[in-house]
Formats: sequence, C-alpha cells, structure tokens
Amino acid sequence: MEMEGGSSSGSAGGTQTHHRFSPMRSRAFYRFTQQNLPACKPVLTPGWVIMTFLIMGIVFVPVGLVCLHASESVVEIVDRYDVECIPEAYRSNKVAYIKDSSISKNCNRTIKVQKHMKAPIYIYYELDNYYQNHRRFVKSRNDKQLLYGLKYKDTSSCKPEESSNGLPIVPCGLIAWSLFNDSYAFVRDRGEMNVNRKNIAWKSDREHKFGKHVYPFNFQNGTLIGGGKLDPSIPLSDQEDLIVWMRTAALPTFRKLYGIIEEDIDADEIITVHLVNNYNTYSFGGKKKIVLTTSNWLGGKNGFLGMAYIAIGTSFVLISVLFALIHVKYPRPRGDPTYLSWNRKSNAS
Amino acid sequence: MEKQTLPLSPNQLLLRGCSLRNTEYIVGAVIFTGHETKVMMNSMNVPSKRSTLERKLDKLILALFGCLFSMCLIGAIGSGVFINRKYYYLGFFGDVEPQFNPDNRFVVAILTMFTLITLYSTIIPISLYVSIEMIKFIQSTQFINKDLNMYHAESNTPALARTSNLNEELGQVEYIFSDKTGTLTRNLMEFFKCSIGGEIYGTGITEIERGRAERSGLKVDEGKSPTTAVHEKGFNFDDPRLMHGAWKNERDPEICKEFFRCLALCHTVLPEGDESPEKIMYQAASPDEAALVTAAKNLGFFFYRRTPTTVMIRESHVEKMGKIQEVAYEILNVLEFNSTRKRQSVVCRYPNGRLVLYCKGADTVIYERLGDGNHDMKRLTREHLEQFGSAGLRTLCLAYRELNTELYEKWNEKFIQAKSSLRDREKKLDEVAELIEKDLVLIGCTAIEDKLQEGVPACIETLSRAGIKIWVLTGDKIETAINIAYACNLINNDMKQFIISSETNAIREAEDRGDTVEIARVIRHSVKQDLNRCLEEAQQYLRTISGTKLALIIDGKCLMYALDPNLRANLLNLSLNCSSVVCCRVSPLQKAQVTSLVKKGARKITLSIGDGANDVSMIQAAHVGVGISGLEGMQAVMASDFAIAQFRFLTDLLLVHGRWSYLRLCKVITYFFYKNLTFTLTQFWFTFQTGFSGQRFYDDWFQSLYNVIFTALPVIIVGLFDKDVSASLSKKYPELYREGIRNMFFKWRVVAVWAFFSVYQSLIFYYFTTAASQAGHNSSGKIFGLWDVSTMAFTCVVVTVNLRLLMACNSVTRWHHLSIWGSILAWFVFIFIYSGIMTPYDRQENLFFVIYVLMSTFYFYLALLLIPVAALLGDFLYQGFQRWFYPYDYEIVQEIHKNDPEDSSRIELLEVANHLTPDEARSYAISQLPREKSKHTGFAFDSPGYESFFASQQGVFAPQKAWDVARRASMRSQQRKPRT
Repeated sequence: MEMEGGSSSGSAGGTQTHHRFSPMRSRAFYRFTQQNLPACKPVLTPGWVIMTFLIMGIVFVPVGLVCLHASESVVEIVDRYDVECIPEAYRSNKVAYIKDSSISKNCNRTIKVQKHMKAPIYIYYELDNYYQNHRRFVKSRNDKQLLYGLKYKDTSSCKPEESSNGLPIVPCGLIAWSLFNDSYAFVRDRGEMNVNRKNIAWKSDREHKFGKHVYPFNFQNGTLIGGGKLDPSIPLSDQEDLIVWMRTAALPTFRKLYGIIEEDIDADEIITVHLVNNYNTYSFGGKKKIVLTTSNWLGGKNGFLGMAYIAIGTSFVLISVLFALIHVKYPRPRGDPTYLSWNRKSNAS
Repeated sequence: MEKQTLPLSPNQLLLRGCSLRNTEYIVGAVIFTGHETKVMMNSMNVPSKRSTLERKLDKLILALFGCLFSMCLIGAIGSGVFINRKYYYLGFFGDVEPQFNPDNRFVVAILTMFTLITLYSTIIPISLYVSIEMIKFIQSTQFINKDLNMYHAESNTPALARTSNLNEELGQVEYIFSDKTGTLTRNLMEFFKCSIGGEIYGTGITEIERGRAERSGLKVDEGKSPTTAVHEKGFNFDDPRLMHGAWKNERDPEICKEFFRCLALCHTVLPEGDESPEKIMYQAASPDEAALVTAAKNLGFFFYRRTPTTVMIRESHVEKMGKIQEVAYEILNVLEFNSTRKRQSVVCRYPNGRLVLYCKGADTVIYERLGDGNHDMKRLTREHLEQFGSAGLRTLCLAYRELNTELYEKWNEKFIQAKSSLRDREKKLDEVAELIEKDLVLIGCTAIEDKLQEGVPACIETLSRAGIKIWVLTGDKIETAINIAYACNLINNDMKQFIISSETNAIREAEDRGDTVEIARVIRHSVKQDLNRCLEEAQQYLRTISGTKLALIIDGKCLMYALDPNLRANLLNLSLNCSSVVCCRVSPLQKAQVTSLVKKGARKITLSIGDGANDVSMIQAAHVGVGISGLEGMQAVMASDFAIAQFRFLTDLLLVHGRWSYLRLCKVITYFFYKNLTFTLTQFWFTFQTGFSGQRFYDDWFQSLYNVIFTALPVIIVGLFDKDVSASLSKKYPELYREGIRNMFFKWRVVAVWAFFSVYQSLIFYYFTTAASQAGHNSSGKIFGLWDVSTMAFTCVVVTVNLRLLMACNSVTRWHHLSIWGSILAWFVFIFIYSGIMTPYDRQENLFFVIYVLMSTFYFYLALLLIPVAALLGDFLYQGFQRWFYPYDYEIVQEIHKNDPEDSSRIELLEVANHLTPDEARSYAISQLPREKSKHTGFAFDSPGYESFFASQQGVFAPQKAWDVARRASMRSQQRKPRT
C-alpha cells in the first residue's frame, strides 16, 4: 500500500487522539461508527398489543375502583348562598347592596347533613367566574415584600396597588387587596361549633414565603377597598386567610380552605351558618358557595380520577378484546412477504 | 522583452491548472480567455444545496407559523372581548396600562396578540435546526466517512461526505445520472472473446452473463480459471484451443492464421519501447486497437516494429509448432477509420508476393461488403455477434480479400489520385475505398470487454430494484454507449428502444450541404418528429399491459434541439416513461441541462455521479452530486457532495446511509413538531380559562428548558441510532428504498397524524390535570394553586413526550434508555432543586416547594400513572392498528427477520466473503478485523501497525488504519497537483 508522507503524519495524529481509549471504548466506538450498536428491536405484534392493553386494563380498573370508592366515601355538602343572602329588596341591584357598607351583611343559612360527617370537617368557600389566574392579577404581588416587609422597597410588580397616600402598602398588590372576606360561623343545636382557622395554608408558604416579622401596613387605606382587611398586629405568617388567598388558583372556578371543624356531625343534624356576606362577586356575576366536606387519603370528593381510571381501564380491556377478535377474524400472518408492497403490486397486476 | 519580439508557439503554452515548479516567476500572456472559452461555457454557478426534506420542513415551519398566528388571533380576539371593568379585582382604576385597559379593547387585543406570540413561540421548534445539523454532522463524519463497507482498500479511499446537509436526500433519490468512463467503466479495453470461422473462442464470462445466470438459478463456477492464463492490460482471454499454437489443431487453421494476421496487421498502432513481448508499449488511437494488437501478440503474432512501409511481425507456430519467424509485411495502403466508414482496411503484400486486403469494422458495414457464399459461417458469426453484443461486449468483424496485382494496380492509381486531390479529398478517398472493399471473405469477429468497474451490474440491478432510474450520460459514441448500457444491464433485448440520433441520412445530407441554418432546421424538424413518434409509441406500449420496458437513446446533437423549450416537455414526458435513458455525445453542459430538466421539470430528486472534470457541472446541477475519487483528478470530488471510491458503493450510500438518514430525520422532524405542538397546545387550552390574558401556564424556566434539556437529547439519539432494519437487510430488500422515494414518512398525512395526536394529548394533559386537581388533595384538605397544577401538567408532558419517543423507536439501544430516562430524571432533579431554593433575586417565588407539596399527595402518583398512559393510549392504538392493517414494508421485513440472531447477517456476509475476489476479500477481512479480534482491539490505537499485524496473521494485507483514511485522503488531495 502506498503511503505518502503526509498520510503517515496524519495517522500518527489520529493514533494519539485514540491513544487513551481502552479496548472497550475502542470497540464501542467501532460499533458506533459502523452503526452496529447492540439494540433490542421491539416489534409491535398483535400479541404484544393485546397483552399490553389487557394488563393495563387489569391494573387500571381496580385502581379506579379504589379511587372512586375513596371519593364516594367522602361526604360533601355544597350550599350556594350568593343570591339567597341578598334581601329581596336588593335582588335587582345586588352590586349596590354589596357596596353599601351601611347595610348589615349578615345572613343565615341552614344546612341539613344527610350522612354522618367525621371530623375533621373542612370548610371551603368556592368562587366562580373569578379569574385569579388572570395575568394582571397573578403578577400583582411581591414575594420579597411578603417576606421582608417594608425593608424591601422595589414593589413595582404590585401595580396598581403598590402604595396609597404616598406610603407603601404591605402586603401590596391586587391579590392581597382583593382578599376574600366573607366569614362563617356554624351553630348546631348544642351550640356554636368551633372552627379552627389555623393550619389551613401549606406549611411551606407559612414558613418561608410570608415573613414572621412583617406586619400589615397601610393596607386597605385607599379610596377603593377591594376586600378584606388585615389585623396590623398579626404578622403575615400568621394571617392564614391571606396566605391561602394568595396561592392563586389555576382555574376560574376554585375552592379555598376556610377552616376546619374538629367535631363530628351526625346524620340528619341541621347546621345553621351565620355568615357575613361581604365579598363582592356580584359585579362580575360570580357564584359563592360554601362547602363542608370530610376528607380521606385521597383528599376531598373528586370522582374524576377514579372515573378516568375506570374509563381508561375498561377501554383498554375493550380494545384488547376488539383486537383479539380482529386478530382471529382477519389474521395477518406475521412477516408474510406477500404483504410487501412490491409483491402486492405484482400480484394485483 | 527588452524590445525583443519573441514568437509564441504551442511549446510555450501553459494550460489551465498547471502549477509552476522550479522557478520563481514567469512572464506570460494570457490567451484564449473570456466567457466564450470552453471552460467558461461549461461551467455553472456553484449552487448551494439544501435537501428537499429541509425545504419541506420550511413549509412545515411556515404552517406552524400560520398555526401560531391563528392561535394568537383567537387569543387576541378573546382578550378584547373578555376585558371588562366588572372584574374589579383586576384593579381597573387609576392609570391602567393599555394592555388591560377596558376602554380600548382594540389596543388590548393587539397588545395581547404580541404577548401571546411570545407565549406560544414554543410551537416553532427553533432547536430543531440545531439538532438536525448536529445529527447530520455526526451522520456524515462518523457514519458515512467511517463506513468500512464503503472503504476501498486498494486505493485506501474511504467515502467522504463533503457536505453534511444532504444526507437524507440520499434516501429519496429517484434518478441517477451517471457518467460512463471512469464511473461505470474502468476505461480499460480487454480482448475477451472471439469467433473464428463460426467457432467461439474464449472462456470468460462477463458480469452481465454471470448476473443473468445467477438470476436463473445457475451457480457460476469461477474458481477453475487456470493460473497459467496470460492476463495483461488489454488481454483477458483464455482458451486452450487457441493459446500457444494450439490453433493449428483446430478444424480450419488457415482461417485462424488469417484472423491473427488481420489483428496484427490491420491497425494504426505504433509500438514503443523495447521490442520484446513483455516490455513493448502500444500507442493506439483507441484502447480497442491496442487491445487487439495485444491479443495478436499473446496469440503468437507479435507486432514489434513499424516502418513507413512495412510492419514487422514475429510469428510463432506458423509452419510448425514452436518455430518462431520474423516476417516483414509490406503495407501498401491504409484506408483509415472514420465514423461514417466505420471500418478500417490495409492492403499488404506478403514476402511471397501475396496481396491481401485486411478489413475490420462494424458488423453492419462489413456484412454489406461480403462476397457470396459460406452462408453458414455468416449466419453463425452473426449469431455470435448478437451473443457478444447482448453480453455487453464491443464487437468488430474481421474480413479479408485476396487481390491480384492487376486489379490492385488499377485501383491504386485511383487511390493515389484521390489522395492527392485538393478538393473533397476525404469524400473521394471514401469513394475509392468502396471500390476495393467488396467481395470480402469473413474471418470472424472479436469481442472486447469495456471493463466495468467492480460490481457495477449488481449495483445497478439493486438500485433499479430500489425504484431508482439510472440514466447514462456520456461523451462517447452512440454504439459505445449502447454497449455499456447492455453491459450494465440497463438495456436488454426485451426492451423497446427508441433511438433518436443525428446519424440519419437526412441530417447527414443536410450537413453535407453545409448551411448551418439549414442543418439546424433539418435537425430540429427530425428531432421533433422523432420525439412525437416515440412518445406515441411509448404511450401505446404503456397502455398495453405487456409490461414492456422502454429505453431511450439520444445523442447530443439531437438533445440540443430536444432541450429547446418547445420540445422540452415532450422529451421529459418520453424520458420519464422510459426505464433507462442513454444520452451519448453530450457536452458537460448538456449533462447539467438534462439533470436540471428532470430536477426542475419532473420535480424528482436527482443524483449525479461522475469522476472527471466534465462531470462537474452535472454534479453541481443535481440535488446530490457524487464524485468518484478515482484516477481522473479531483475536480469531480471537489464539486461533489459525497465522494466514494467505487460506483458500487452507491448501494451502501443510498440504500443504507441515505435511507437511514431519511428515516431518522423524518422521525426527528415529526417528533419535534409533535413535542412542541403538544407543549404549546396545553398552554393554549389554559389561555381560554385565564380570560385570554396571556398568563403563562408554565414557569419561564420550564418553558425555556423544555426544548434544551428535558426533551433534547433523546431525539438526537434517535436521529443517530434509530434503524428499522439492518444494513444487510436494507440491501437485501432494496425495494424498501421506495418508501423514501415516495416520501412516505414525511407526507402531510403523517404530519397530520402526529398533529392529531398532539392535540389529543394536550387535551388530556390539560383537562385531566385540572379536572383532577379541583378538590383538596390530602387528608389535610389543602388546595392546590396554579403552580401546583402546572407543575403536575409539565411533569406529565415531559414523561409522556419522552415515552412517546421510545414508542417511535425501531431499535432501542442503551443510549436510548440512558437519554430518555435521563431526561425524565433531569426534570425531576431540576424541579427538586428549583423549587427547593429561594433566590435572593427579585423574582416571583411561585414554584417554591411546589414539587414537595405535590409529592406529598397521592394525587401526584395517581395522575402521573394515569395521564401519560391515557395520553399514549391513542398513539399505541394507532401504531398497533396501522402495523396490523396497513403495515409499512419495513415493518414486514422486520417481522420476517425478527427471529434472526443479531449477527446472522454478518455470518452471511462472511460466507459471501469466501466467494469474493482476493481484493474484495482483503477489504472484507479488514472490515472483519476489529470484531473478530475484539479482545485485542486495545492494540488498535496503540501501534499504527496493529492492523497489518493481525491482517498478516490472517493472511491478508491491510492498510494501517481504516478509521484514519478519511484524513489521509484529504491530505492526499492537497498534495496532488491539480490537473486539467
């Protein structure tokens, strides 16, 4: 073989670059360049398809049943009160009613409990058509200020609720400004029920996102009042209402935790809710509901997961049966060369 | 210079491309330059080539842009409609910025439009181009350049991908335009067979005969060729009945003698060098002549000296076996060869006074001039001629005529007269020649093999099974071209041949008249007529379902007129209906014109392959240009996109590398399309529930890293390693290539299927996660916020999209697993870190602790199982269904060979290797080396001589390092001085 001067130097350079390769690596490199890496070649045979679907179905249906059962075992009572809590006289002009601070907003609702509810019973309020995920809304907060309070000055993200009367607002921003401020009290025959309003926010929020030494300042002092007021003597990390409210919801219909009743409610018991209907959802036609629910390992009542599991699982089984039927009725011999397109064509002609 | 006048003659001429040696400078004048020179006329602008797939990709991207704008438009209109003062909590007081100002809904819509464009911009796969470039680069530098199947050991040349952006184009080639000389053939004429007095001599088998025999199931035994056979350049003939004087025992030794004398005498060859049979060199006008004289030498009639009037022949075995005598023949007249005569004659006088005219020429002209009698032999010889012709051999008929002195003298006077005439000398000479070249006695015929490059017929056969049509564009004569087409199996006798040639009487007459305008008119007219006639006939043939294949042979002069805009459509129509097309006598520019005719007119993907400077424009004109890095210099290689050492490597280049590249890139592109669309659509569905405000569903970092980290690597791995069937199966079933020609994997239909499933999946992602997240999610009754839900959805998207890729893989290596599971893992690692820290920067800590909150609930795990499975359900169903009822060809081949052990193909190849020629076996052995000696491969890079060492142990010679040859080749190209 002829070897030019240049080529030997070229190969010498190549040798050096490969010098440190171990035998294993050089072999791997060889197989790489020759595109001959060891590989498994899955072929989607009908057997595989049918078995996969069947196994998936067999796994999914029971999981779905368990989830559905868990969801069904939850007792949930939902009561819409936004319309009923407005006196008949104001029904035609709800917004005027809610904005008029001189009128008492107290309202009583009676809830009949159908099934025994085991403590803890969670109280949620549910809002509708409320775009907590609106871009203008979501970004109108300042996490640094929530943590450091007045020490943190740059609150431009809080527009248009960054300052009022020339002084900064703590907590600033639209989210805090629009804090939900309906309040509920629950009375049963034996007397008033104790509502625990602690530990309703995620621990991570309480401890790391809201400052322990940050107190509300200049809050809701403007001409326009959006929602609830905060006690300036309680640090933000303890204002769990606010913390819950400020974990913005994903969808325009959402529930937020209000409190926890830590006693059982028996079946057929009648609960009276003394509520103060302060919050304005009437401007944009949003509903307000109060929800009482028990909970278990899966959480509250949500049949979706269970139903989805069952639906998908059943469809897996159905499809596998369907495939098996088709397979039996119109079998295609595996790897039959007559199915190759060029063979098919020549057969046809 | 110094006021001297220096004459310039051809001796002072330096041709283009010369390089200056041994002097610092020269003083020169430039002559023959400008736009009218041959070089400039034949040159074209160097085009920048992009692959058809990329062009189609551009369309896809455009479609995505359209999609993006319509999505944004919907969002923008929605936002204009939605914005309203009634949503007081959005703080519409004081100075509301224009984007949310309910008083000017139009501005809101416009501004939201821009917000949404940035939000949905993920739909445009920007990283796709980068990924594709990366994949292609590795494909070409690591796979094509280092493929040992395309490494030519003799010349130490590997394949060389000179550009990396046409790999996938190789998988869709439908038309190959090939040069002849140097590409299909070696430009080596070898005396192969002959027929003397109605008897065939010569035992060789041409490649085409071998191919035919193999197809009909005959096993061709090749091994018995005796080692004693003389084989030198121009002579590849062996028959014990003729060699070494054995012809004396044949039925008719006299005619054999005439045959040999005719070979030795009737030519215009000049001997050079030593007057011994081993060292003599023959200088001939054509390699055929040299081959014939060499044949005579080897058969015992050694022509060694030529004087102006005599030819000296050293004759062996003439009078009795073993006797060698030197005979001087007096050459009285030479009637030279030209293209109209198609024959050549000499009149010679033996030392004993016998006067003979020896003539050799094309069978048509010789048969016209034969004397009466001996019909049997004429018939037999004609049969032999046809046999040789269909075997792809070049034939010449030999004949002689005894002359008596009287007749000769009379004729010679006329001849001398004609020779000395001043006007129309050639015409007169031809006429005089006619007078004596008649009543010839047929001796026999010769068959010369225009030696094909190794494996060419097999390669062409494979390529045509792959649905590729091969056109031969050559500067050679029409006969030669047809011969080669036969030899390469492009044309056979079952085909209907359409010949459009300028060598017709009408045209010749017109040419004789010499009026250029008239000539042009006549040719144009006849070409037009021919084209229309052929087209009609062709359509008739196509209408009858007899399956007759058509072939078109056209020469350069006719082509010039056929390429005229008026006739172009007809030409294209006709040629596309033909399974093979041969264009002969074409100029380099015409080669390019034909190429672009098909490229632009038929919109098919074309590949040009050639080796010489005259192929450069053709190589540049085609979609893909392939240069043969052979003997004819580097111009073709320099202009090409891929360089290979041998024509036969085209099989590997197209069927293996091209097909894989195409499949892989289709997969990569459609997958990219899918994953970005899916991701963006989840965002889009979310927009509907945020009052069209353009709120992000995902955190900024998720969105930016989605394409960069969480889904980037697996798709590159697939682009590199995915293969549907192995290389040997790709070549075994060349028909698989047709899927590429038909562009089966990147049709709009395929894209639509992906799009459908990405809509389906995005709906699942969005609605399942949100619907399932409504109530409280663990026993403490706490509720998820926006970022919890979006993190959940994003996790599902990353997992699903990666698993979807796994489902699309045809072969799964550990790299696939590593990258796919690695990407999913990377997401979790990222989110663990990202949501675990609070940064001192001013940013919204939306995601703080989100993943930990999520993972503390059962919901997370249930959803993580449910949603990807539900999302992939559709794809899985579709794949199973499609595979079962409408399988792709490759899927069936996969099934046929599913149970083949991984290495079986290689064992087959090993068996093949045993039947290879020594040269092939050697290169094969090299390709086997590292595998066979895997335990020792460690030496591979330690000492440069390692391979030779092992090779010599295995009894083969190996060059030192196969991997490094690419570099070596490029080094050599720099060293080699340019030639023109």
